[in-house]
Amino acid sequence: MKPIMLHGHERSITQIKYNLEGDLIFTCAKDSQPNVWYSINGERLGSYRGHNGAVWCIDVSWDTTQVLTGSADNTCRLWDCETGKELAVLETLTAVRSCGFSYSGRTLMYSTDKTMGHPCEIHIYDVRDSTQVSNQSPAMVIPSESSKITAAIWGPYEEYIITGHENGEICHFDVKTCEKLISVKEHNKPINDIQASKDMSMVISASKDFTAKLFETATLRHMKTYKTDRPVNSAAISPVMDHVVLGGGQEAMDVTTTSTRIGKFDAKFFHLVFEEEFGRVKGHFGPINSVAFHPDGKSYSSGGEDGYVRVHTFDPEYFDFRFEY
Amino acid sequence: MPTMVEPISWAEQVEKGDDRSLPPSSEDFDEENAIKTITEYKYNDDGKVVKVVKIYKVEKRKAAKSIARRKNWRKFGAAERDPPGPNPANTIVQVEEINMQIILNKEQKQQEQEEDPLLKLKNQKMVSCRICKGDHWTTKCPYKDTLAPLQEQLQQDEKKAAETAPGPQQQQPAPQKSAGKYVPPSLREGANKGRGEVMQSKRDESATIRVTNLSEDTRESDLQELFRPFGPIQRIYLAKDKNTGQSKGFAFINFHRREDAARAIAGVSGFGYDHLILNVEWAKPSGTS
Repeated sequence: MKPIMLHGHERSITQIKYNLEGDLIFTCAKDSQPNVWYSINGERLGSYRGHNGAVWCIDVSWDTTQVLTGSADNTCRLWDCETGKELAVLETLTAVRSCGFSYSGRTLMYSTDKTMGHPCEIHIYDVRDSTQVSNQSPAMVIPSESSKITAAIWGPYEEYIITGHENGEICHFDVKTCEKLISVKEHNKPINDIQASKDMSMVISASKDFTAKLFETATLRHMKTYKTDRPVNSAAISPVMDHVVLGGGQEAMDVTTTSTRIGKFDAKFFHLVFEEEFGRVKGHFGPINSVAFHPDGKSYSSGGEDGYVRVHTFDPEYFDFRFEY
Repeated sequence: MPTMVEPISWAEQVEKGDDRSLPPSSEDFDEENAIKTITEYKYNDDGKVVKVVKIYKVEKRKAAKSIARRKNWRKFGAAERDPPGPNPANTIVQVEEINMQIILNKEQKQQEQEEDPLLKLKNQKMVSCRICKGDHWTTKCPYKDTLAPLQEQLQQDEKKAAETAPGPQQQQPAPQKSAGKYVPPSLREGANKGRGEVMQSKRDESATIRVTNLSEDTRESDLQELFRPFGPIQRIYLAKDKNTGQSKGFAFINFHRREDAARAIAGVSGFGYDHLILNVEWAKPSGTS
């Protein structure tokens, strides 16, 4: 395969996401301009101008009309997807670490960092109620007493939010009662990323403790572990094959002290069920910070510390490959 | 349609002071093969005119309505002024092909590699059975019972061999502590460090020498040949590049006895090997910097 390299960021990529149909890729980086690209040819559609700091997270509504970004400049911003116009600025006390639209696109949530004496909180806004956004009064504030939230996604049916914490915990937070429903601690280092499978029946967590783990969404029952020899920054489940892809590499702060050969910057493909690695894709010059599958499963993208997003379209051999067991 | 670029000689251009504008760019569309060719002229970093030919394959794809609508969205933000199509400044199609490296039974392969040095040692007859001369300890010999009557005879042979040929021949299995059996000096109490099953983990570092300034083509077998005359070698470690397999120019040799190692240092240091002069010295114990 010949990957398309998207070079629209000046600093390391923090998150990439496809929209529902997969024709657009949304990328954000530690520079202040999130970008949107056509996935088919890598053409840049535009960028969202307004942030004044690193953008940690990005999400797009199901109908690709609105984009949500959370940044270290203590704001979470809502954008019009088509024109790049800023629709709303939600001011926070600390940096926004993760954000997301609910499935219906009617509610949005973001989580804030536990710094400067402020607690880590999840804020939930109802987008339909314009007074909430204009008055900066979230519909719900869920405090996370224990540990900082480092990754968060909506659970199915918008009933709860699945959060990954700095101490390795994964929790369910009920949206209506603000209660912590379930909490499991399978990882012993911070969780860098949580992604759901296409039908949301499973979630995969990527952790700094060199593993990615698969959980049943509803119960957070630990099902599979994918072991590597490097911190895992991101993991995604293929929508069509029984595969997962893991992106990672040694920590960014150590990268300059070693060569790319031993930096382990390749994306690793594991079999979902057998937990065994069967393939690797090289290319990045730094650790991979985010991976995402195209919703049709025929391509995937990875964004790295080197500031590049690489869009890989699988060769037919990938689909012919059968895992031997 | 392609415009004819009016021919100009370079001399003319120089005379005119090079204030001519660049030839206009042209676009050509081959409808039969759906291939679009764009020819552009520009100055490169050295100020020379360069012709750039870009060939695109135009594809028509059916897409959902929503996708098709989004395809016609106007560019905005940093991409506002970009022409239609990917901007080569931030969309780069990698020229070289990248393949997914397929990994099958990776762990198995690694284990094999790790075991390699052990296998080599076996071939050197570090361990040989006194009953059948196989590569195993006498106690584990499959013919122990069947060949038991012959054992006495074999032991005597062994003794003779050990007496007549010193050196590497002395490497026999650790003897059972029964009376009447020959125990080579190197294997007697207090001298048998670094033998047997603990060999790999608890290596006696005192008899290790470091050889530097080796040529790139050096193999482990070369080193073995070179150092064998000084005494039994426990282990040879030749540092090799992970990818190319070429020597990195240094090696560690573990002898069984420190005296052998000392002799090897005296004998080989300054020895011309290939085209280089070897440097041999005591290895610093690992773990100390």
